[in-house]
Amino acid sequence: MIDMINAFYKTTKELAKLGLVGLPDEMKSNEHLIYSSPATLYFNSPGAKGFGVKRAGLAVPESVMLLVSPGCCGRNTSLFRTAPEYKNKFFFQLLDDTDIVTGRHLTKIPQAAEELLQVIENEDRPKPSAIMICITCVDALLGTDMERVCRKVTEKTGVPAVACYMYALTREKRLPPMAAVRTSVYSLLEKQEKRNSADMNILGYFTPLFDSSELYPLMKSIGIKNIRELSRCKTFEEYKELSKANFNLVLNPEARAAAQDIQDRLGIPFIELLRLYRIDKIHNQYKLLGEALGSALDDTEYFENARKVIDDFKAKYGELTFSVGEIANADPIELSLMLVEEGFKVNEIFATIGELNYRFLKRLAELSPDTRVYSNLSPSMMYYTEMADKEAGTEPPNVFIGSDPLYYHPSTPGVEWCDDNQPFGYDGVIKLFERLDQALSNNNLIKD
Amino acid sequence: MKKLLKYLSPFAPDQSGACGVLYELGGLIVICDAGGCSGNICGFDEPRWFTKKSAVFSAGLRDMDAIMGRDDRLIAKLTKAQNQIQGKFTAIIATPVPAVIGTDMKALKRMAEKKLGIPCITANAIGTRYYDEGEEEAWLNLFKEFAINENGTSNVEESTNKENITSKAEKSTGIYTGILGATPLETGYSTAEPLISACNAAGIHDPIIYGMGSDLEVIRNIKNIKRNLVVSVAGIKTAEYLKEEFGIPYTVGFPFIPDTVIEQSIASVRRITEDQQNLTNNRKIPEISQQNLMNSNISKRKILIIHTQFAANELRRILREEIAKADPDNVNNIQINAATFFKESSNFTENGDFPLSGEDELWETVTTDHYDLIIADGDIKRLLDAAGYNGAFVDYPHFAVSGRMNDDSIMFFS
Repeated sequence: MIDMINAFYKTTKELAKLGLVGLPDEMKSNEHLIYSSPATLYFNSPGAKGFGVKRAGLAVPESVMLLVSPGCCGRNTSLFRTAPEYKNKFFFQLLDDTDIVTGRHLTKIPQAAEELLQVIENEDRPKPSAIMICITCVDALLGTDMERVCRKVTEKTGVPAVACYMYALTREKRLPPMAAVRTSVYSLLEKQEKRNSADMNILGYFTPLFDSSELYPLMKSIGIKNIRELSRCKTFEEYKELSKANFNLVLNPEARAAAQDIQDRLGIPFIELLRLYRIDKIHNQYKLLGEALGSALDDTEYFENARKVIDDFKAKYGELTFSVGEIANADPIELSLMLVEEGFKVNEIFATIGELNYRFLKRLAELSPDTRVYSNLSPSMMYYTEMADKEAGTEPPNVFIGSDPLYYHPSTPGVEWCDDNQPFGYDGVIKLFERLDQALSNNNLIKD
Repeated sequence: MKKLLKYLSPFAPDQSGACGVLYELGGLIVICDAGGCSGNICGFDEPRWFTKKSAVFSAGLRDMDAIMGRDDRLIAKLTKAQNQIQGKFTAIIATPVPAVIGTDMKALKRMAEKKLGIPCITANAIGTRYYDEGEEEAWLNLFKEFAINENGTSNVEESTNKENITSKAEKSTGIYTGILGATPLETGYSTAEPLISACNAAGIHDPIIYGMGSDLEVIRNIKNIKRNLVVSVAGIKTAEYLKEEFGIPYTVGFPFIPDTVIEQSIASVRRITEDQQNLTNNRKIPEISQQNLMNSNISKRKILIIHTQFAANELRRILREEIAKADPDNVNNIQINAATFFKESSNFTENGDFPLSGEDELWETVTTDHYDLIIADGDIKRLLDAAGYNGAFVDYPHFAVSGRMNDDSIMFFS
């Protein structure tokens, strides 16, 4: 009977016992159909909320994009092409039935590039810094050598052309589309004769960190003068300055391949940090960063501020029960671990378990063994109901974090926590609890 | 260059059209893609996705699935999901990936039906065509699969059992009017209620909107339908099939044009008519209008409606009625042409109507033919402006073009 079907989940304890290699098929996206609900849009269409390849490709200042694909691949571009930062920046070379079999469209790309440049000239707009040429699954299957096509476009137009690979078919490969596009957007940087020891770049996101992040003053405290981020570059000239950095700080593993490429091409080394929410681990990370840079970072003030904000929140609201999702600027397992370690309850998590967060899950299983872990992508999620807590004999969540739990618990207060601006470090923790406080203060959840 | 969009965004593709037809019918729908197409369909082209759950899934194809043509893996995933979901039928909608690797959709249908024992509908979408192509195939396959004849079998079942073949039905004895072809992409409405109200206002008091606010039983009980009103060219083939096989007659029409569009269009027509009378009376008229007329070198006023064929035809009919009411002598002085980027049936075109193959053709039309008024989706305005069009413009949203509903909202993550 249909009404007997429940959404599939495993508790943290069960998952810890199964081990990473023993994850059930329902939690492996390549083993089942992918349920398409508003909670999974980030998976099927990363650009729909946040940055997908198309938006990301335009991170190069003053660039335009030519999407070479069947019409369907560019359909949702209507969404953001009217936004001021993307207005008139998209052009589409549509493939027909013959193109997708023969690949004859490739010979027409230089002409398309010329025509789009003509449109820009006719509109008295400045010549673009680059033409980002975005191709999709069709060319993945045709085995298109897009680098060669880009060279032809550059030769013909005099404008650099860069390939952006929106290959959804390869999303579980070594270089998935969002990692590949990060490599693309830095590919126009050229090696400098001399780099500046007081310059550094932050790599990882297509939008800047919150201005209030302690990372900026901490870096300045050890002599860094210029901290650059791609998303803060307004002009192509500013973009080119990125190649002067002494080192790159990578805050998102998806930027690792780009950082490696920059290291290989331009000789700029990189250091990788994780976005964490457990403040003792944030402290450890800064300590290690200081050691790597040869100058200790004094984060005491920031640590104490974060500690106080968490303590005040706990005193105000008591033992809240959280629902934590994965469409948020956080890893849901690590974030849940922080919440549990701080004395809150987490009764459910919507997450994709992988190598990186499995180590957090093992610790979480020790502290909160009955926490249910769901995969948003499982077809059984069609039958997710808020009754799951009742059946499990637990309290429903008082509060959620993430866009996906908002879909599952539309009448529960919470925060989506997926602003374009990126939280990081203690500042991220403080902002999260401030937002939660705002969301909860109107819902009579303040402890008596 | 043909197929280069310099001003417009791509229109809704065929896979979105096919999915829109089946969305509310209780089936298990699989988009045979790597994920992106499902994201576009659900997140952009299917406004009901935000308010009404449906078992729409991505096949989650990966490169090796495509390279190796692992259809068996897809069927295994489909089986697993069907065991959980218990869909009334399954549907497999193709996308560019199966098109490139030459997936045999008929074979997939047979494999799925054999494995699951329930009907499977397929749509050979490619992603290079427009939504109405996908709708046309989905409507026809849907009715062929589920419409049950007087023998209590569908014609698909009959074709495999030759002994059961009987003569075609002569005349329907049903009581309802079936509205065929109404989808959000076609009408700009995401629920059946406004469509039913519009039908009622048009004198249809017993409408059933196939696929919106009605379920599969309506199609199974096709004998209850006395006639069909076809509101989309994508529904014509199915209407012909139902007429042939079940004796259900059909007419075409489009009673769903928003009142605001009609009001604005009438007001614009009045303005250009007044301009014309001013000219006739040799009064001073605004410089731009006079210039336009000099350029056009004609005394007629010209209006172009760019939308689906049936919507454009209906709006033309309304405007002509209004013109005739206001000034019967003027009817012949106003030429109204219909143009569409989408499917067109030659049975319902007038002299001067034309299909549009792309941006270039519209650009050429605007620069060579003088139009005093163009009624089209607002997203097209940018192209018109760039082409130097300076006549009047009325925005008639078309969801398949701009993703805007009739109330001007973009449904996406609203």
